[in-house]
Amino acid sequence: MFHAILFYSFAAILVVAALGVIFARNPVHAVMFLVLAFFQSAVLWLLAEAEFLAIVLVLVYVGAVMVLFLFVVMMLDVEVEEIRGGYTRYAPLGIVIAGLMVVELAQVIWLRGKEGFAVDGFRPTPEGYSNTEALGSVLYTEHVYAFEIAAVILLLAIVAAISLTMRRRPGLKQQDIASQVAVRAQDRVRIVKMASEKPE
Amino acid sequence: MNLSQISPAAPEITLTLMICVVLLADLFVPQEKRVITFWLSIASLAVTAWVIVVTASSATTLAFDGSYVSDPLSRLMKLCATGIVGVGFLYARDYLQQNDLLKGEYYLLGLFGLLGMMIMMSANSLLTMYLGLETLSLSLYALVAFERESAKAAESAMKYFVLGAIASGALLYGISWVYGVTGTLHFHEIAEVIRQNPGLNDVPLWFGIAFMIVGIAFKFGAVPFHMWLPDVYQGARSPVTLYIATAPKIAALALLFRILVDGLGELHGVWQGMIMVVAVLSLLIGNIVAIAQSNIKRMLGYSAIAHVGFILLAVFTGSETGYAAALFYTLTYIVMAAGAFGMVILLSRQGFEAEAIRDFKGLNARNPWFALMMLFFMFGMAGVPPWVGFIAKLNVINAVLEAGFPGLAVLMVLASVVGAYYYLRVIWYMYFDAPEDRSVFQSQADTRFVLSLNGIAVLALGILPGWLLKLCIDVIGHS
Amino acid sequence: MIGLQHYLTMSAILFTLSVAGIFINRRNLILLLMCIELMLLAVNFNFIAFSRYLGDETGQVFVFFILTVAAAEAAIGLAILVVLFRNRRSINVQELDSMKG
Repeated sequence: MFHAILFYSFAAILVVAALGVIFARNPVHAVMFLVLAFFQSAVLWLLAEAEFLAIVLVLVYVGAVMVLFLFVVMMLDVEVEEIRGGYTRYAPLGIVIAGLMVVELAQVIWLRGKEGFAVDGFRPTPEGYSNTEALGSVLYTEHVYAFEIAAVILLLAIVAAISLTMRRRPGLKQQDIASQVAVRAQDRVRIVKMASEKPE
Repeated sequence: MNLSQISPAAPEITLTLMICVVLLADLFVPQEKRVITFWLSIASLAVTAWVIVVTASSATTLAFDGSYVSDPLSRLMKLCATGIVGVGFLYARDYLQQNDLLKGEYYLLGLFGLLGMMIMMSANSLLTMYLGLETLSLSLYALVAFERESAKAAESAMKYFVLGAIASGALLYGISWVYGVTGTLHFHEIAEVIRQNPGLNDVPLWFGIAFMIVGIAFKFGAVPFHMWLPDVYQGARSPVTLYIATAPKIAALALLFRILVDGLGELHGVWQGMIMVVAVLSLLIGNIVAIAQSNIKRMLGYSAIAHVGFILLAVFTGSETGYAAALFYTLTYIVMAAGAFGMVILLSRQGFEAEAIRDFKGLNARNPWFALMMLFFMFGMAGVPPWVGFIAKLNVINAVLEAGFPGLAVLMVLASVVGAYYYLRVIWYMYFDAPEDRSVFQSQADTRFVLSLNGIAVLALGILPGWLLKLCIDVIGHS
Repeated sequence: MIGLQHYLTMSAILFTLSVAGIFINRRNLILLLMCIELMLLAVNFNFIAFSRYLGDETGQVFVFFILTVAAAEAAIGLAILVVLFRNRRSINVQELDSMKG
């Protein structure tokens, strides 16, 4: 019962946050709603005993991806006034499609799904089960190929993002660490020998 | 894990290593010697192709706990994709040099894309398929936006990215349902589970299949998920368009074969109808809208949609004849597409993009040989005998007739006749109109040589299609 | 008892909201990218629910990779967005119409 109350309250906040993403007028608010949605999802995943992914979601998504979004929103400095305005001409179509999908999904999950999916909750995990350990033990053995491809994708993302956005601006002042380190005292300080002067 | 467990993946591993070499080399090459990156990329492709050929056998080998498969089908596809990427790189070199775009990124992203395609062709689980698809898609998004100063390129890249990401989302949602019902991600195990449990939780499974077909149709550029294709073809620089128009089509076919045939072949009756609707729409809309185009890249884009209709109808039959016909059609289509975009690149020069159809006016008076080559490509695509497009179309129509759909066969013939109009218009411009500009082509001898070979191949394959046809049938039979 | 169906429903709601958001979005492209993130979140819910239901870790491994790829995808998407903004000074969806036909 307590479990159910937790689930429904966090799920409700998640839905509100998702609505906020869609309807927020200010893009910064939309990003914040999305962050909220990710936090709620992480809690729901914790309730489903998927602890590792819940933590990864917070660390990777909220910690990196959403910060990137926020950074771009602020960098582009889109005016709030400019982006207000009417719905697109696709809005009615979108609402009809959304309505249809809700009906169909509900049917699939609740009515027809019962033939094949059991309705009682998830099976409890065995005593001493560690989600992180279980994932780790298959990630580097059974799924090592996928793991390597993921590494390639990250390398590709680095190459692509840098090649798209890096600009060499003329006159940009940069540190040259090597020449700073290689500097010798005699290049910078000139010791001049001179006779001592006496005040007149 | 020992070496024999990973050795089937030798082509992918080789290509990954070569990408690292090119990446590092490009960093230290001065801008005026950038052509070194080009030759290194060509060398990478050659080495990869060599590894594919050396490791070839008629056996099917699994690796990495069954998430990788090396079979004759994957090896043929990989070899063709490697070859066509190499041809594309060669056509692109002079163009990039003249437009100050000769940067290592074009070749690097192209190689990354090829790696993604090879991963897809050898994927034996939905997870590896997804990762391969993303490797390919991310490279393509970046390639389209590769010319940073062009607003048109950025706009088409943005459209491509948004729609592509939505399609990936739909595909993933479908995958999650299929995983939930069958409890596995490996294609052969999915097929096994479905075979052993007829009527298994059917509605959620169909639901998943429908979402996956949306994703697949998008990657093919089939109607009604084609909105990105003409814009991307037009907005990207011609060498990038050439890249997108050729090798990724083979990868899309691999995506279709692996998921729908290897994994869900038992449920052929479920996906057949959806594929048919998409294919017929592509055939009609592609051919009809292409007539109204004045931009040749956009026209070839709509023509690509029509060709996808043919490929999908061949798969729709669900027979081995049909699959072989689809493979043959794809492999020959990309040869023609590479040639046609190669001609667009050939006619372009510094600051001038030969993208209007009227830029081909009077080509015969300017250069009869390349006018003849363009005639080969156009006749090939239109399906005029004896060029190879005719054999390819004939095969598909035969397969559809064999499967017992005479109505569809008639529709395909009619669509081809409509389609012939816009190809013939290009030929009309070339031969019966006066040239508007008489500038000389600025490409090097090797590019011209390969383009000529490409044109002759379209004719030669049409006259002697037997060996390739047999190869396609063998390869499908072994997989 | 909270189980598979509840999580699947949550996922369905999120997926539908993200699709609706994409269709009715009237403003800027960043919002579109955020709807895509929401869509991937819905997919992840499905995978985790099925993974727990089946008692099979593969689904959770898939989520791990989706998170990785989505991060790479977001980086490239935002890079393209920045390039677009530099060229056009606008990220309005309705202004993406220079090509027609």
